[in-house]
Amino acid sequence: MLAIEVDGVSKQFRRKTIEPTTTLKTAVVDLLRGRRRESRASAFQALRDISFTIQRGETFGIIGRNGSGKSTLLKLLAGIYRPDAGRIRVRGRVAGLLELGAGFHPEFSGRENIFINGIVLGLSKREVRRRFDSIVGFAELEAFIDEPVRTYSSGMYMRLGFAVAIHTDPDVLLMDEILSVGDEAFQRKCADKLAELKRKDITLVLVSHGLETVAGWCDAVAWLDQGTIRQLGDPQKVIELYRQAVGGQPSEADAMQGPESIGGF
Amino acid sequence: MRIGRSELFAYRVLIQVLVVRDLKARYRGSALGFLWTFLNPILLMATYTLIFSVYMRIDMQNYPAFLMTGLLPWLWFSSSLLLGATSVVEGGGLLKKVFFPPQVLPAVTVLTNFANFLFSLPLLVGFLLLFGVRVGWSLVALLPLMLIQLVLTYGLTLIVSAVTVRYRDVAQLLASFLPVWFFLSPVLYPPNLVPPKFAALLTLNLMAPLLMGYQSVLLYNTLPVWTPLGIVAGVAVGAILLGTLVFNRFRWTFAEEV
Repeated sequence: MLAIEVDGVSKQFRRKTIEPTTTLKTAVVDLLRGRRRESRASAFQALRDISFTIQRGETFGIIGRNGSGKSTLLKLLAGIYRPDAGRIRVRGRVAGLLELGAGFHPEFSGRENIFINGIVLGLSKREVRRRFDSIVGFAELEAFIDEPVRTYSSGMYMRLGFAVAIHTDPDVLLMDEILSVGDEAFQRKCADKLAELKRKDITLVLVSHGLETVAGWCDAVAWLDQGTIRQLGDPQKVIELYRQAVGGQPSEADAMQGPESIGGF
Repeated sequence: MRIGRSELFAYRVLIQVLVVRDLKARYRGSALGFLWTFLNPILLMATYTLIFSVYMRIDMQNYPAFLMTGLLPWLWFSSSLLLGATSVVEGGGLLKKVFFPPQVLPAVTVLTNFANFLFSLPLLVGFLLLFGVRVGWSLVALLPLMLIQLVLTYGLTLIVSAVTVRYRDVAQLLASFLPVWFFLSPVLYPPNLVPPKFAALLTLNLMAPLLMGYQSVLLYNTLPVWTPLGIVAGVAVGAILLGTLVFNRFRWTFAEEV
């Protein structure tokens, strides 16, 4: 069964390099002077005629250089953006881990933020309550759960955000470069959790610069290049072609991971 | 496309959680806590009483009680509009991360300020009793008054919050415009002081029937005059419909433009 259908999707943005925002004042002044402001805001084509399908339970990777449209595509799948052309169909509950800790309030305790974040991500209050202990345990924050989140280290913050997100039981999970949270032990735990989700037939879409990660996890990979799909299909093959095209340079994430990169994660 | 209200209903838990978050954030870590909310109107009331009752010698019974009765609903209205105008822009971080209907954001602002108003009502009644005002059964008329004001405030806030995403200076314009609206509203003076020549300023003022309603209920224990309130209620419903239209027209650009 198809989980995601993307059919001829295009998306463009207004480029706002010169004028960040219009004010009502300039709009009125222009109107009075009968001047029509040249639409200096040129359009930027972020995605052009993208089509692919993802089967239920499949893990789908999206690779490409910075600015190739990966995150835009993910935001379209999450329903945050609407395509200018084309059609997107996603079946089931979508959870987008586009950024961790959406709605976290620094003055609030970890406990309160779990509730806020959980509701923001679409859980009911009862669902959050039922998962609460498991979330805290997963984030390994039992000792700090009643401290305000502003006192957390960045690692603790990310761990809490990841723990909530992973507990939302979605049908489709969208992840943007968040597989590198926490220390090695925590990463391994995340990997186990993702493997468990994969076994439960959850559809995963992940955007990553870590080519090893993508190769290790994905059943299919799309390579985005300047807003179009350059290659689509078997991970090994697509990644190989991508490596050749970017001139054999190791990508940022691979370079950072170093030789001891853990278990394909 | 579904209309705004049903979507808001579907996201009521999110709204509730965000309202509670905003209320807690406002009162946490301050020794006076909730009293801060009442401090601002008290200070305003004291100043206005000094100016109008002592300096300018306006002859009116119970002037502080009269002031307070109009001030609190006005502050709910004006701060909702002012903070609501930037609510979508400021909630942009969240809008870019997760999908939810953006009208949740102005709704949260209006409801947070409504909650503050509700919390201050018992204090207001205590204040009035202190000044020898006798409150009575007409208090039940507060319910329709608050409902009409809620609908009106939400409708107008929807419009300004959507427009502010496009034109960022709308919030500043509003900040200059709201004090004018305040002085033209019967908060500082009873409506019968307005000369007939200027009566239109009261008739056209959407907040005037509401403020007069609060005054008759709380100060004089009489029911409000319903006809002008009915008109305001009609306009309020219109404001919600128009606000929803404007909002839906712009909403898909929000995540990109904030």
